Amino acid sequence: MIRLICPFCGPRELREFEFHKTRAEPGSTPYAQVYERVNRLDDSVEHWQHVQGCRAWMLVRRNPSTGLVLETRILGGDHP
Amino acid sequence: MSAVVRRGTRLTAETLCFTFDGREYHGQVGDTAASALLASGVRTMGRSVKYRRLRGVLAAGPEEPNALFTVGSSPTVFPNVCAPQLELREGMVLRSQNRWPSLRYDVASLLQLGSGFLGAGFYYKTFIWPSWHRWEAPIRALAGLGEAPGACELPTVAVEHFSCDVLVAGAGAAGLAAARAAARAGARVVLCEREPVCGGELEFESGTIEGRPALAWIDATLAELATLSARVLTGTALVGETGGEFIALYEPGGLPGANAVYKIRPRAFVIAMGATERPIAFINNDLPGVMLLGAAERFLSRYGVNAGRELVLFANHDRVYAAATRLVVAGMRVRAIVDTRDATGLGPQAARQRTALAGTGTDCLLGHAVIRVTGRGQVRRAVIAPLASPAAAHSIACDTLLVSGGWGPSTHAGMHEGGVTRYEEALGAFVSTEQPDGRENAGAANGLLELSQALADGAGAGTRAARRAGADGDPGTAPLGSGDGAPRLVPFWRSPADRAGEKHQFIDYQNDVNVADLRAALAEGFVDIEHVKRYTALGFGTDQGRMGGLLGAAILAELRGEPLRDVGTSRLRPPYHPVTMQSLAGLRVGARLRPMRRTPLHEWHVAHGGVLEPMDLWMRTRYYRENGPGAYEAGIAEAQRVRTSGGIIDGSTLGKIEVAGPDSGPFLDALYLNKASTIKVGRSKYMVNLREDGMVLDDGIVLRIAEDRFIATTSSGHGAHMLAHFEHYRDTQWSGCGVTVTDVTEAWAVIVVAGPQSRTVLREVLSAQWRQPLDALTHMAFARGTLAGQDLTVLRASFSGELAFELHCRPSISEPLWESLIAAGFKPYGLEALDILRVEKGYLVSSELNGQTTPFDLSMDDLVKHGNHCIGRELLDRPAFHEPTRPRLVGVRAVDGRMAFYGGAQLTTPDQPHRACGYVTSSVYSPTLSEWVGLALVSRAHADGAVLDCRDPVRIGDCKVRLTSIIHYDPSGERMKS
Amino acid sequence: MKGPSPRYSALALLRARFAGGGFWRPLWTGRRLQGAYDVVVVGAGGHGLATAFHLARDHGLKVAVLEKRLVGYGNVGRNTTIVRSNYLLPENHYFYEDSLRRWETLSKDLNYNVMYSPRGVADLLLSDGDMIDAARRGNAMRLAGIDCELMDRAALDRFCPELVASRDRRFPIVGALVQRRGGSVRHDAVAWGYARAATALGVDIIEDCDVTGVRTAAGIATGVETSRGYVQANRIVFATAGHTGVIGTMLDMTLPIETHLLQAMVTEPIKPLLNTVLVYVHPAHGETYVLQSDKGGLVMGGHLDGFPSYTRDGQWTRMEDVVQGAIALLPQVAGVKIVRQWAGTNDMTMDGSPIIDRLRYDNVFVNAGWCYGGFKTIPASGAACAQLVASGTAPDLIKAYKLSRFETGHLLDERGGGPFPVRL
Repeated sequence: MIRLICPFCGPRELREFEFHKTRAEPGSTPYAQVYERVNRLDDSVEHWQHVQGCRAWMLVRRNPSTGLVLETRILGGDHP
Repeated sequence: MSAVVRRGTRLTAETLCFTFDGREYHGQVGDTAASALLASGVRTMGRSVKYRRLRGVLAAGPEEPNALFTVGSSPTVFPNVCAPQLELREGMVLRSQNRWPSLRYDVASLLQLGSGFLGAGFYYKTFIWPSWHRWEAPIRALAGLGEAPGACELPTVAVEHFSCDVLVAGAGAAGLAAARAAARAGARVVLCEREPVCGGELEFESGTIEGRPALAWIDATLAELATLSARVLTGTALVGETGGEFIALYEPGGLPGANAVYKIRPRAFVIAMGATERPIAFINNDLPGVMLLGAAERFLSRYGVNAGRELVLFANHDRVYAAATRLVVAGMRVRAIVDTRDATGLGPQAARQRTALAGTGTDCLLGHAVIRVTGRGQVRRAVIAPLASPAAAHSIACDTLLVSGGWGPSTHAGMHEGGVTRYEEALGAFVSTEQPDGRENAGAANGLLELSQALADGAGAGTRAARRAGADGDPGTAPLGSGDGAPRLVPFWRSPADRAGEKHQFIDYQNDVNVADLRAALAEGFVDIEHVKRYTALGFGTDQGRMGGLLGAAILAELRGEPLRDVGTSRLRPPYHPVTMQSLAGLRVGARLRPMRRTPLHEWHVAHGGVLEPMDLWMRTRYYRENGPGAYEAGIAEAQRVRTSGGIIDGSTLGKIEVAGPDSGPFLDALYLNKASTIKVGRSKYMVNLREDGMVLDDGIVLRIAEDRFIATTSSGHGAHMLAHFEHYRDTQWSGCGVTVTDVTEAWAVIVVAGPQSRTVLREVLSAQWRQPLDALTHMAFARGTLAGQDLTVLRASFSGELAFELHCRPSISEPLWESLIAAGFKPYGLEALDILRVEKGYLVSSELNGQTTPFDLSMDDLVKHGNHCIGRELLDRPAFHEPTRPRLVGVRAVDGRMAFYGGAQLTTPDQPHRACGYVTSSVYSPTLSEWVGLALVSRAHADGAVLDCRDPVRIGDCKVRLTSIIHYDPSGERMKS
Repeated sequence: MKGPSPRYSALALLRARFAGGGFWRPLWTGRRLQGAYDVVVVGAGGHGLATAFHLARDHGLKVAVLEKRLVGYGNVGRNTTIVRSNYLLPENHYFYEDSLRRWETLSKDLNYNVMYSPRGVADLLLSDGDMIDAARRGNAMRLAGIDCELMDRAALDRFCPELVASRDRRFPIVGALVQRRGGSVRHDAVAWGYARAATALGVDIIEDCDVTGVRTAAGIATGVETSRGYVQANRIVFATAGHTGVIGTMLDMTLPIETHLLQAMVTEPIKPLLNTVLVYVHPAHGETYVLQSDKGGLVMGGHLDGFPSYTRDGQWTRMEDVVQGAIALLPQVAGVKIVRQWAGTNDMTMDGSPIIDRLRYDNVFVNAGWCYGGFKTIPASGAACAQLVASGTAPDLIKAYKLSRFETGHLLDERGGGPFPVRL
């Protein structure tokens, strides 16, 4: 069961967050960046936005087979 | 009505009156429908779905499969209301279900005669000829339990979100002990209990806790919880969870009404939701008069109802003797206790009770089973046989058979987060294990059925939960108590029966799933419990297998010759308890389904005959009533007025994003196909951006208001998305770039002033200091200043083809400004007119920017050629985007200028009439040109001037159209630049 | 196994009634996995079983279907059972129409009642803009000879009187695009019917058999590694919707697929209330489709949960969204209770259309990428995929479902959403 914790705002209802897409492999072609998706049963690196909160973009690493969130990190250089 | 006033823990002496199947009955305040009817001697309360067998009440909880009533009068009815959970109210109208014309006489009960055919899988093997659909209507009418409501008036539910330290679900012995320990330790505790009162089985189990009778201990514990500020929610069932949040539902009196939904975020969670008693399968175990033993005890203790006069009890555990003792005390005659175990199974307490019962005339049989019950419409005799020699049966007269096959712990809530179950032979049931951190089972839900164990387990769980939540106070000592002894259960699932008898050994009552069905499923290769479930409908009733699920799995195991632990049970699904749709919908019902966005001029439009329609979440004015009877006529009148003199339109829904900071120019360049960084301060530009895959995403005007500051406008429906799009690229791709992105959509109202007289009118309306800037404004330039002390930007830009100005003003001055424009002679126009003006000029809207068009399709080749290396640009090189079958944007007009044609019409050529070469994206009747004009996306193979068939079979039929240039009106743009 | 399951008929039912036990036979169980096959199909869901059935029936091939868990345990048994062919793009609507025609006769073809019920599918429209989009789609369908009607509000009220005008509907309904031949099918029956028919043709359906890898030699696949040992195969078909992306990873490919959850839910059974299938999409994740099953429950679904997942646990909040839409459509059902919710995993492709093509090797195929619309295409997909596998050439109906289309730009993007499955 997915439980997201915004690094700025703390735990919030999932409804406040919006998944954007899984992160493309770094250095991949423009085609791959747009169309290809890394599909692994135990690991998914994704971009999410706390769209109905502080609007921060976050990198979220999750296990998509359990929903367990492994890492949440703010994206954007100006942030702590 | 019984003249005696019944006494029970929930009852008052006050009486009330209700009707069941048209007949009047009386009950006492506090009664449920089931208890009052039982007290009135009503034994049959419904019929089953498939064979229409007469059924009585089996259980006292929400797992009841039979006694489901339709409450209320058509059309406002609530179907399938669980009678043992339905608290009676004065004048309540109840009806039994699945019968016609009456409960006693039901035409469809003739289906029982065909039960030999109607077993599991029957439907898959027949009704193939001539087609299922031919047979479907009567079958649908037969299915479906209660009456379909024709209307429903319910108040909006109260939704409350809160957090707590420890949530305890279930307020039986273990739950109360857990809540008390956690609260004493200093945790903020929420205790929710499905039943209207706390206590669970303590209500009838003759127990003492901490030296007091159980009921007194419950009261004392609740009082203490109150002093410790714990929140106790009774009548509130835990129904589900999501992302660490638990959802509980309060449904007053067991009937949809003024419901409340609690969304609780606890730090720790104790599942003390008890266990559900299960029946044993024997022949005719569905006959009215067969009831679960625990249900009979609950009806007695809570409602003072005797389940019957002459009882036979049938069980596989010690508890039956304690129960029998209490039933006898209450005045019922227990004719026999049929225990499937042999003498070695009995514990000392049960042995003593058994001796006493035998002394008062109860026939106590060990190693026996009830083979069948008989009677027309209700139990009259029980046929009993020794298990060692089932043929040596004898029968006992009785009116009620109370059965108990043990208890299945409530694993549902524990399973939701991927918990696993472990089979416990001593329970003949599965217990959920390996709970995630911060939650654990306690008491009967943990498989501990004996009072002292349940109390200790609950207190331990409550203490650990409090500690986890950071409360480190003294939880006190765990309560000591004694009640009924350990059940010493030996699993027993069904009595001996021959193959014919198996058809009447019911497992899932509501759907009439019996042992023969399981056997039939196995014979056809449905072996796995999940397959058997789907094939036989085991567990598909309103109780979702709470009554028969485990029993079915166990009998399947027997038939497969495998241990139950290997067979397992079918996966439980949320919700844990049925949830009224209104409660799920929460606050978002009716007009509040989604928030409504209103422009600052909304009230003005409403007050002045504006016909408003939703557009995305916005409300926008389609036309004004004074200009015509409908959108078509009014739109023409309004558009004509703009072309001849002018008009104003509310454009506030336009998305506006302020982009500021030293990098904002390059930032926008990377987002848009054309360059923003070359825009001069004080000027604006029509800009287009692409989606990542190269399709056109949006268009709008970008204003440069300072060297390092822009306002990008977006189309009305796209504002929210474009904002996220901007933020995404800033944060994920160009992290650290010096740009802030702010949604200023609602900071600016927009009034568009369009028409040849617009400059004149504006000169009149705006204050004197605006005259010079107005006169100086060239096309796409803007001036910033104030009006009445508030910010105002005047941008000269046009989406109508006329000389036009966009007034971006603070919302507070929008209405006076609007009013003064009207006073100066300009009248408002709506979207219908805007569409006419737009299509005449060949401007794009969402019909063309539909996510399926490339910039080449929209004739933006030059923009691409000279434009930026922006997002989406690279994928534009894909070969398919340059094939001759790709569309291009063209104008269309009917060959016969009088003919109408509409957006959405498909265009074909005579040699390929079945596959379109294009379609009309939008069309309007042009009052200026006195004919229908439109825009279309048509295969590049067709040049301007080509004639195509315009095909509109779903509306007005066909006509011929000619391809023209995109701009139907004023192609040189003189009017707009004048 | 003692012999095939007897042919179903009223007479057979009568004989079974008096034959006692042992008359009916297992539909598919009891077959043993052999060492080599012409074709190994991975996945005993609707598409895998239908493909196997057609490979055996139409092409006479020796086929095994290897299933990790149980026949029909995936999406074929988890969907909302809707069938229709009301698609916009010619590459889609001909294919979906082929499927709808096959549904019409499937019960007879399989000798198994799959309960195809053409009660009509109505896509509800909320604005004049919606009407134009629907007209575009409806006209394209009519040109292709597919039935559909564009109804204004008055016609819709006659067609679906249950949709009584609600006083305070936030998004008023102005009309509907209706396909009368659309409707529903009993989903489990499709899996069981195909499994039975395929078994009767000699197909080995092996459950609890997890395919863990593909063995190759000289650039072609030679067989599959499974939890039950190695199986040699001349051709391999992956029909593992929901997990195709993972299959790609197994084959060292990154596919244009993302796995998302889609929920469904059902109410307690009530007497007939709703005849038609209603589809209602409104702003802010408001998507609800609702129909009433033959059992009487209102079956509902909506938008994807919104992020990649293999859990099959649906999000409560999405259930709320779906139910909100249902009450907006049918306020009279507000007091009816939801009794069960479930979810399935969906292969979401980056244009919303399926992929039936070779996968990396010349003799490895994929029948996948069904997004949330796979159930309705099972009969057509099985026949066409079998033809591709047997002949090596894709039949016209599925020529467009090539994996390379994303690179060439021949996208089949019905809704214009681009490579973002979640965005409405």
